[in-house]
Amino acid sequence: MAYKPQFGPGTSSVAENRRKQMNPGYKLKKMRDISDEEVVLLMGHRAPGAAYPTAHPPLAEAGEPKCPVRKLVTPLDGAKAGDRVRYIQFADSMWFAPCHPYLRSYLEAIRYRGVDPGTLSGRQIVECRERDLEKIAKELVESEIFDAGRTGIRGATVHGHSLRLDENGMMFDMLARYVYDPKAKTVKYVKNQIGEPLDKPIDVGKSGDDKWLKANTTIFNSNGGVAFRSDTEYVEWVQRVHSLRTKYGFMPME
Amino acid sequence: MTEAEYPQVRIVPERLLFPITVERLLTAIVATGGVRRMSLNGPRLPAVVPYGPARGVENPHYARRKIRVGDQDVLLEVQVGTVVLELEDASYIPRIREACESVFTEFPFTIQEGRFMKTRMTVTDYAKYGPDMDKDLLGLTEPGKKGRLIIIQGGK
Repeated sequence: MAYKPQFGPGTSSVAENRRKQMNPGYKLKKMRDISDEEVVLLMGHRAPGAAYPTAHPPLAEAGEPKCPVRKLVTPLDGAKAGDRVRYIQFADSMWFAPCHPYLRSYLEAIRYRGVDPGTLSGRQIVECRERDLEKIAKELVESEIFDAGRTGIRGATVHGHSLRLDENGMMFDMLARYVYDPKAKTVKYVKNQIGEPLDKPIDVGKSGDDKWLKANTTIFNSNGGVAFRSDTEYVEWVQRVHSLRTKYGFMPME
Repeated sequence: MTEAEYPQVRIVPERLLFPITVERLLTAIVATGGVRRMSLNGPRLPAVVPYGPARGVENPHYARRKIRVGDQDVLLEVQVGTVVLELEDASYIPRIREACESVFTEFPFTIQEGRFMKTRMTVTDYAKYGPDMDKDLLGLTEPGKKGRLIIIQGGK
């Protein structure tokens, strides 16, 4: 029988959402439209339309050594052209954000080639060759794992994921990169990810309502959401992994 | 001689507050007349981007704004998350609660009673203010703060 990855344990909606997002066979739902130019502006690495700065000559001109691995691995478009490695970084509120840093790294490593995801406590960064990063960033921001109010695109000064929400239900941002438009009831980015003002605001659409967020979150939260302890299968597996890791230090058997 | 101990309360709303709500709350609290000292806490809102590639760039923020409390303008340098009050006596607590209930209509809040301001000088306080530090400043200062305290007159 062919191996079928399970991605993770658990019977709760949170566990199911985690499995769903990690599964490359599941196409992430598109929730909003962001143009290519807007993605470039949000990241702030280059001016829209400008040529991609390079870190090395194109591979075709570089005169690569004969190497069997290089023959096996097809380089990304950005690597072929010698693009710089750039990043996009997200912060996810613990108040029912539709994704969270560890899961972002898992799903990016599973779904995309040539990326270097990194998880920190309240933020998650993904690095890639610039032109490929722009495609990935567009997909991530347009998809269901991004929420306008509970997820932030933050290159620096990320503080806020564990704080209370503000009166509009938005995650705190020290740099106010995004603002809530009460008339349109949408969220608009007025600064790029490192806090430089944008010439015109970028609309990233409406934030999900509480019902949608609680149904689609990947974060256990006993304060109004799905409590970790309520998913006994998940607890059992986490305890099993913890126990085996501890025991293996002394004796490699159960 | 034992120094008088004044009751302290901490107001914790479920949401971080906008300046307009803070202004309404503080106006209602000041009107009760029993507040000796008050401290607003929350995440900081720097005037310029503090770090990262954009360090030093101006940081306009919708929550960093001047509000009017009593007879004074107060520049909010934090997004207010908790308000700590020291009261003349415990009889003002129900009035403070009523003031909060009149302002926090959209989301819940809690009022805790206890000690929320420090009672003894720290090394930093000693270095900054010397051995004869005004006791009223205790608990209202923080090491990096450069501005002065704001005194709101006419509470009574």
